[in-house]
Amino acid sequence: MSNKLSSSVPTDREVVLGILNNSEDALNRLYIGYFPMVLQFILNNNGDEDDAKDVYQEAIIVLYNKIRSGDFELSSKLKTYIYSVCRRIWLKKLTQQSKKINNLSDLEDVVAVEVDLEQHEEKELQFEKMGSALVSLGEPCKTIIQDFYINNLSMQDICEKFGYTNTDNVKTQKYKCLQRLKKLFFQS
Amino acid sequence: MRNDIALETIIEDYLQGKLTAEEAKAFEQLRLDDPVIDHRVVAHKVFLESLAQYGRVLSLKQQMDHAHARIDVAGLTEKMRPHPSFIVNLWRKNKSAVAIAASFLLLTIFSIYSIQHNTKQNGTYEVMRREITTIKNNQNKLVRTLNSAGPKVPKGLASSAKFGGTGFALTANGYLCTNYHVVRDADSVYVQNSKGESFKAKVAYRDVQYDIAILKIIDNSFTPLANPPYKLKKNSIGMGENVYTLGYPKDDVVLGEGYVSSKTGHGGDTTQYQVSIPINPGNSGGPLLDDQGNIIGLITAKENQVEGAAFAVKSKYILEALNAIPSDSLGKKAVFSKKNPLQGLSRTKQIDKIGKYVYMINVYN
Repeated sequence: MSNKLSSSVPTDREVVLGILNNSEDALNRLYIGYFPMVLQFILNNNGDEDDAKDVYQEAIIVLYNKIRSGDFELSSKLKTYIYSVCRRIWLKKLTQQSKKINNLSDLEDVVAVEVDLEQHEEKELQFEKMGSALVSLGEPCKTIIQDFYINNLSMQDICEKFGYTNTDNVKTQKYKCLQRLKKLFFQS
Repeated sequence: MRNDIALETIIEDYLQGKLTAEEAKAFEQLRLDDPVIDHRVVAHKVFLESLAQYGRVLSLKQQMDHAHARIDVAGLTEKMRPHPSFIVNLWRKNKSAVAIAASFLLLTIFSIYSIQHNTKQNGTYEVMRREITTIKNNQNKLVRTLNSAGPKVPKGLASSAKFGGTGFALTANGYLCTNYHVVRDADSVYVQNSKGESFKAKVAYRDVQYDIAILKIIDNSFTPLANPPYKLKKNSIGMGENVYTLGYPKDDVVLGEGYVSSKTGHGGDTTQYQVSIPINPGNSGGPLLDDQGNIIGLITAKENQVEGAAFAVKSKYILEALNAIPSDSLGKKAVFSKKNPLQGLSRTKQIDKIGKYVYMINVYN
């Protein structure tokens, strides 16, 4: 029963509140709820299910950033918004692949999302830069940085995890790692 | 370097709000005094934010992958893959348009239907002239009477009357009023009074619009009558007024009694009354009289699907028709007399007096 409930499409309000509260259940329901729509759209426009997944996940990230940024106003239905974002992203990908597009066959209404997507592209760029910087940072720096800044572990935890003798050593190590990461990040 | 580490620790604590109020105040003062430190704070903040954003997006992607794994992608793909059939694709893509078109069509049909059925009275307008030949099988007597009609019928007249109606005298010298549709295709018109005497008549005036015809008896054997006892009522009459009519749906005069049920006729026609009165083919052209014996209308037609809805042209239009005829040929215009000799008489007496002014009209063509 609960499984059935959680797989039904949530209301727009539930989604917004869920995202603001970091609810994983809300994300799951949102994700499962609207994926078929996007899949159908991509399949109908020269794409496959992997394209659908990429485009859809990007769109959800756009939605998350928009809601989290605080100035989110639900000017259209969430479904329409997601569809519009996916459509725009897919259109762009198609042009990049220089695939010929005669007419994008639309299945839903569309709203203007250009501004949101510009912001998203900026963020996406940063995300990729940070990703590659972390990769080239190498171990153990990468894990120390991730544990401290992303997973919010304490110095004590990291100290035990990596077997340092005291937290000062960890602090020094973390400082060095962060300096290198900054360098890598701003260089690229 | 040790200083740098210490500074960064303070900056991080400051950004995370871990400093005490005093420490924070001191640090803010330091930022104000030393632009280099201020710059490091801002840069560190921006960097940490993008790092945090990276972390958020990463975890979001993980969560989404997790959710994605729960979807039966292969099954969905199979279901949604563009169908090879053109028609199925067309239907899928234009579902909403088709739905809108269909509902619009339905709405249109429905509104047209309801307009037609609301604003008009049900049924059709059926004029009440009698098609004698078509009913002669049922009324053998009638045909016989018509064939051997009164001694005054000219010998040359072999065929029986095609149509029958009713008419009533307007003047003493032989002007009669009836419906235009009664005499519409007439070759010759004969009128027959209540005593069975038949006279040849001609159509003196036609008014197609109001369905009025004025006949003139041109037969030599016709002797002028006394002035008609009734008068034409000029102004219109109220709903509910008791009315009666005399007519010839059969070979003898028949009385029909009823009341005015509406001030407008078929489809809101303001030139007519609607009267609740039993009438039959042959009643067309009969006078419609009120209780005082005033002629208020001319029986014209009835609704064929509604019980007891007959229509009568208002007397005002009879007057107009009469005005179209030169007044000197009308003779003494008794119908316009102010005084109504029928007033106050009982119904039976009124009918007795009116009866001989109501004629059966036989039309041959």
